[in-house]
Amino acid sequence: MTEYFGATVADIFNTMPERFKPEEAKDVDIVIGYEATGEGGGKWTATIKHGTLKVEKVEELKGCKTTIHADAEIFVGVTLGKITAIDALTSQKLRVVGDARLLMTLLPKIFVPFTVTPRKKAVSARAILATVESRFRPEKAEGVTMNIGYDLTGENGGQWTLMIKDGRCTVREGFAEDLAVKLIMDADVYAGMMLGTIDGASAFTSGQVRIEGDMMAAAATTKFFHKYVDPNAAEAEELICLRVTNSIDQRFASGPVMGRWFAGLKEKKFMANKCPECGRTQIPPREICAICRVRVHEFVELGPKGTVTNFDIVYFASPDPLTGAVRDTPYTPIYVVLDGASEQDAFAFELKKEDIDRIKVGAKVRPVWADKPTGSFRDVLYFELDR
Amino acid sequence: MTCKHEDTRNCFVLEGKMALPNQYFAGRLGSKFIIALRDKKKIMGVRCQKCNKTFIPPREYCEQCWSKIAENWVDLGSEGELVNFTVIRYNDKHLPKKAPYILGQIKLTGADTPLTHVIQGIDPKDVHVGMKVKAVFAEKTTNTIMDLDHFEPV
Repeated sequence: MTEYFGATVADIFNTMPERFKPEEAKDVDIVIGYEATGEGGGKWTATIKHGTLKVEKVEELKGCKTTIHADAEIFVGVTLGKITAIDALTSQKLRVVGDARLLMTLLPKIFVPFTVTPRKKAVSARAILATVESRFRPEKAEGVTMNIGYDLTGENGGQWTLMIKDGRCTVREGFAEDLAVKLIMDADVYAGMMLGTIDGASAFTSGQVRIEGDMMAAAATTKFFHKYVDPNAAEAEELICLRVTNSIDQRFASGPVMGRWFAGLKEKKFMANKCPECGRTQIPPREICAICRVRVHEFVELGPKGTVTNFDIVYFASPDPLTGAVRDTPYTPIYVVLDGASEQDAFAFELKKEDIDRIKVGAKVRPVWADKPTGSFRDVLYFELDR
Repeated sequence: MTCKHEDTRNCFVLEGKMALPNQYFAGRLGSKFIIALRDKKKIMGVRCQKCNKTFIPPREYCEQCWSKIAENWVDLGSEGELVNFTVIRYNDKHLPKKAPYILGQIKLTGADTPLTHVIQGIDPKDVHVGMKVKAVFAEKTTNTIMDLDHFEPV
């Protein structure tokens, strides 16, 4: 059978019964016909009734409520999700006669998705042992004379002896008479350890490996050999990804008006400025009234207490886009009209954590200042309820 | 005008730095291209057999016939002809060399598109279109296009 994306069309139908979810299909009564054209194709019907499924390979699609037609490759691709069903449908590569919604709604509900299990060629213990002699590192085993026995159990097992002598290593089947150490384990465990899929130490502590004789000698043997490399393993593709953190120079010039605001904070004062035309208090102050567009010169001190006009309790904080850091939640920004401010000119501050449960619109609040204000926004630690 | 009457006593300037983490993925073709520069000291392009065009830097599809050419790697050697250039006369942190330096477009022998890179070993006033140049690879590699350090006159 011709394979596409590592699977044949027949694989899809052969695995259908085991992927079927009878519970979900209790009330379904339908016969679906499938036609895969081209190489590796064929026709199948799936009959679903009373929570049972019958899959048949047929010559003709008969008595089907809905039929699905596609080229074998498209068929496998869509089933595996390698090709999106919508694309295949809109490009007419996949045709559904009958109820097209079935593809998106019913089938995903009553079947576990079809997946391809990668077929890995298993390496046998025998094949690994055959490479022992070539992996031997005489320079690491100088002056060592030792016979190591491997009693490998299970289907692929057998008995072998590694004989190290005079800077040479030979492997032979069966046990030599004077074994310094004997390792007993399943042949597959041995293969797994050699391939690096099973950790030697944990295999030993969990009892998968038994050692008879000189345990230290057994531990020392690993360094006598080069690591075993699976000849079937695909070489990992190296991909280049560069990570750089750039440092960008930033410069903030306060100007005289924001400068006055920050100077105010340093004295624990909120310095707004008042428009000569409309009389609104701008907080923070701006050079020009944003409504009247006239230059504003007069500064007024507001607050320090104020009235809450609105608030948000934030439970899900947006992460910092640069670092991914998320601040503690919940936190509560409150909008405060400071005493003496024009009523539309509220400004956002943060509320003390302990007061979150009791906050309401119209509440009176007062600022809590840092011990030593430096002339920055951080000088106001938060506002708290004024009671 | 108004500045004269402005009260500047409270003005101040804050200098700061902003850390901007960046990640650049070279892509599968880009990675192969850089790795060839880095490990084999080879400049590789991809060839469209249909259009008889060789592209560098490599790209997945031929820009003329849209056929997939990602696997048709060709070694372009290390010599070529300067087809265009400019002289960079200012220094900036992100620039690869100290000013003044020459940035040239080099059409490697066998390539149909030019590669933009630094030209060294010649005074900016002597550089001219048509001159033959050859690649000089970097001693210290960085996994970037600068693994090919510069081109110099043959």
